[in-house]
Amino acid sequence: MNYLERRVIHGMLLLVGVSVLCFAFAALAPGNFFDEMKLNPQISPATVAALRSQYGIDQPLPLRYGRWVRSVIRGEWGYSFAYNCPVRSLLMVRARNTLLLTTLATLLTWLIAIPLGVWTANRRGRWDDRMGMAGSALLLAVPELVVAMLLLYWVVRTHGLPVGGMVSVDFDVLGKQAKLIDLALHLVIPTTTLVLASLPLLVRHIRASVVEVLQAPFVQAARAHGIGGARLLFRYALPAAANPLSSLFGLSVGALLSSSLLVEVITAWPGLGPLLLEAAMARDIYVVVGAVMASAFFMIAGSILADILLVVADPRIRLGSL
Amino acid sequence: MRNAQRILAALAVLGALHLVILLAGFVAPYDPAAQNRDFPFAPPTRIHFVDAYGRAHLRPFIYSLSVRSDTVNEYEEARDKSYPVRFFIQGPAYKLAGLLPLHVHLFGVEGPAQIFLAGTDGYGRDQFSRILYGGQISLAAGLLATGISLLLGLVVGCVSGFYGRWIDESAMRLVELFLVLPWLYFLLAVRSFLPLNISPTQTFLLLVAVIGTIGWARPARLVRGIVLSAKGRKYVIASRGFGASEYYILRRHVLPHTYGVLLTQAALLVPQYVVAEVTLSFLGLGLSEPAPSWGNLLANLQQYNVLISYWWMFAPALALVIVSLGYLQLANAVHELQSGSI
Amino acid sequence: MEIEETTRGATTPALVRAVGLSKSYVQRAPFSQKRFVIDALVDAELEVAPASLTALVGESGSGKSTLARCLAMLEKPDGGETWFEGAEISRATDRDLVLLRPKIQMVHQDSAGALNPWFTAAQIIAEPLDIQRRESGPMLRSRACELMEEVGLSANWAGRRPLEFSGGQRQRLAIARAIALKPVFLILDESLSGLDLSTQAQVLNLLLDLQKAHSLTYLLISHDLSLIGQVADSVAVMHRGRIVEHGTRQDIFTNPRHAHTRELLNSVRLVESSFRTAQAGGQQ
Repeated sequence: MNYLERRVIHGMLLLVGVSVLCFAFAALAPGNFFDEMKLNPQISPATVAALRSQYGIDQPLPLRYGRWVRSVIRGEWGYSFAYNCPVRSLLMVRARNTLLLTTLATLLTWLIAIPLGVWTANRRGRWDDRMGMAGSALLLAVPELVVAMLLLYWVVRTHGLPVGGMVSVDFDVLGKQAKLIDLALHLVIPTTTLVLASLPLLVRHIRASVVEVLQAPFVQAARAHGIGGARLLFRYALPAAANPLSSLFGLSVGALLSSSLLVEVITAWPGLGPLLLEAAMARDIYVVVGAVMASAFFMIAGSILADILLVVADPRIRLGSL
Repeated sequence: MRNAQRILAALAVLGALHLVILLAGFVAPYDPAAQNRDFPFAPPTRIHFVDAYGRAHLRPFIYSLSVRSDTVNEYEEARDKSYPVRFFIQGPAYKLAGLLPLHVHLFGVEGPAQIFLAGTDGYGRDQFSRILYGGQISLAAGLLATGISLLLGLVVGCVSGFYGRWIDESAMRLVELFLVLPWLYFLLAVRSFLPLNISPTQTFLLLVAVIGTIGWARPARLVRGIVLSAKGRKYVIASRGFGASEYYILRRHVLPHTYGVLLTQAALLVPQYVVAEVTLSFLGLGLSEPAPSWGNLLANLQQYNVLISYWWMFAPALALVIVSLGYLQLANAVHELQSGSI
Repeated sequence: MEIEETTRGATTPALVRAVGLSKSYVQRAPFSQKRFVIDALVDAELEVAPASLTALVGESGSGKSTLARCLAMLEKPDGGETWFEGAEISRATDRDLVLLRPKIQMVHQDSAGALNPWFTAAQIIAEPLDIQRRESGPMLRSRACELMEEVGLSANWAGRRPLEFSGGQRQRLAIARAIALKPVFLILDESLSGLDLSTQAQVLNLLLDLQKAHSLTYLLISHDLSLIGQVADSVAVMHRGRIVEHGTRQDIFTNPRHAHTRELLNSVRLVESSFRTAQAGGQQ
């Protein structure tokens, strides 16, 4: 059983753990989806009771968990009370949208952060590094909630970009190229928010890793040979920093997912976030579990991806010395 | 030394902010629930030092607001009468820090004029007062939840490190699980499983308990590392040779090493948890009206007309940023202090 | 290097007797079935006469430290018995241990590791007194200062931290701590290794003075045969968890019977002779 297979199995075990945790919390839950109905005088208690037993809410928890697992295997992922359909159909669309947003944001963040981090590591201690550090400290202190609201405010005042949502109302009638542009325009605000929120911490970590690598003997030796500037940074230092950076990537996925939830809600991006929020308010339990599992899945997939990147980038692991 | 200066500066700013918020009743000119239906969405009151005749005054003063005719939510200053800002003025009753009943406020103006330093909201409630009282909730939530997390992390880390073997293994799997969970998803899920319609006090306590369970994993792992490395030290073995109980060893040899780490973690967790409370309240799953929290204050901005016209409703965000900045600077400085001394 | 020679007979009953001690360590990866077994002690037999200095020699990994820890009641042996002052102690209850512990103390090799770097010298020395509740408050500190003076450290340094002392001074601290509870039996686990020769001599002299003053019995664990050759009354040789030879210093050094003992002595002689050759070469 090689390393990758072990990681995948580990990930699946983690997913099971997450699902158990979710259901465990459901056990503590006083009340459920049908409580609202109970307050409605037009619906008789008998109807509520019938609905409850139909959806199996009054059954013991392990039984419900078993039924849910079977539903997962069947591909339905449980049933939504609010939408009256299997959870899967809701999840797929939303998950795709969240994936689009978070993947784009991740790519952009890393594309900006790596050169920035490497460059500031090189200019360590000098005035532009210090300014950069101060700026990033300030940005770090601004919660993404505030960043999102500020961006929205600016957009609303300048009427430059669409305010929220994923596509315009007339999306379906647009030509192919126009559709792409429309989507891209809608992506600007949420993506910018996510990038701004993740950038400071990432740049700081990259900078720290590169600084450490720059002090390694082999880098000093390269310098003594006259290798300098960009070549030194990107061909010598950066690959050596690949190890800590890959583990960073794995960890950053989770934070990004949490940020994306909030950003999706604020900018009305139809992803997992608003779905979860709605379901949370309505106590639509299986949707909640489904959405949490989806996010956990992305998280774990991200960290496994990071592990693959690690193996690819760091020859020491392949040769078995680590 | 630069580092010590930074710690002092951060502590000073944070201390001042916490003090002001603790004494919200004193610093705020009005009751946070007091509505002024005549003045919804009034902009922040302008403070003047120079009057209409060009005379400068030492004591700042304001003009009272009147509604502009034929408009909604547009105001102008009535320049006929000026109201000087007075300090230590008698005002609505309150309980200082929830204990001491008082009447005196830090500043205010004589009626019927009102001083809205941060404007008013849709019900005409003074935002400045609401921000201060809301800060009590948000900061308290952050601090209490941090306490819970650190306690949990300390206990789990110590037990895990000390007893080892399967306890350690299972604890570390649990830690991994919690580090993997995207916290906001988890928070929403947990919050959704709990009753929505409960009293504000219960909501607050519930919120604190739930938020506190997100971030115990990292402190637990750090504490465990410290316990493990301390456990193997020769001086711990020597202590056993003198007949020391496990409790003695924990208290005198292991715990002192954890204080530094716990402090850094605390400085990192508090702003995160304050933001968590604010986020939850913003989304409607935390503290709800009429109890003020920075979260539900900012939630007003979700309405399009508020966002576009009433910029002063962003004020709680400023407070949030200052809190985050202060704590992060503190965390950085403490961390540097620690790694210097290792 | 001049060290006072001491010879005492082995006619009085042994203070400490290890009979057939065995201890194995089993390492098992968690949640798996693979096990690694290390036999640290196999049927070890040892006798230590009162007021003597018994040396325990052997190569690394022979089980010397494990035997020491068992004798010091820091670990429980898997099999066999340990007799101390005529009573069997390897299965002592916690209550018995409270009375026993002060009598058997240990000085470790790594003084920097054996002393908590955050504690002050006074706190380190006073720790056993504190744990055993012999003294409290200001009495703790004054007793700690007394002990410091006794081991040759100035009481003015009571507030210093271990890393502010030199290696030899740290060993003195460790010794002061070890005698704080007025033990009868002191185990010195490689306590002189890692010190330069002159410091070694000083610490050794201190130990011998303390032995005379307090009628201490020493078990000196070392792999340094030349050192042992100068101070030990009797020598026990350990190899792979067993005591393979035990006798007076004379016997062991002049007439080694076990193959392993001969190997050990030979290696010392090799080092000594090459040292002498180098010295001779240098002088000319």
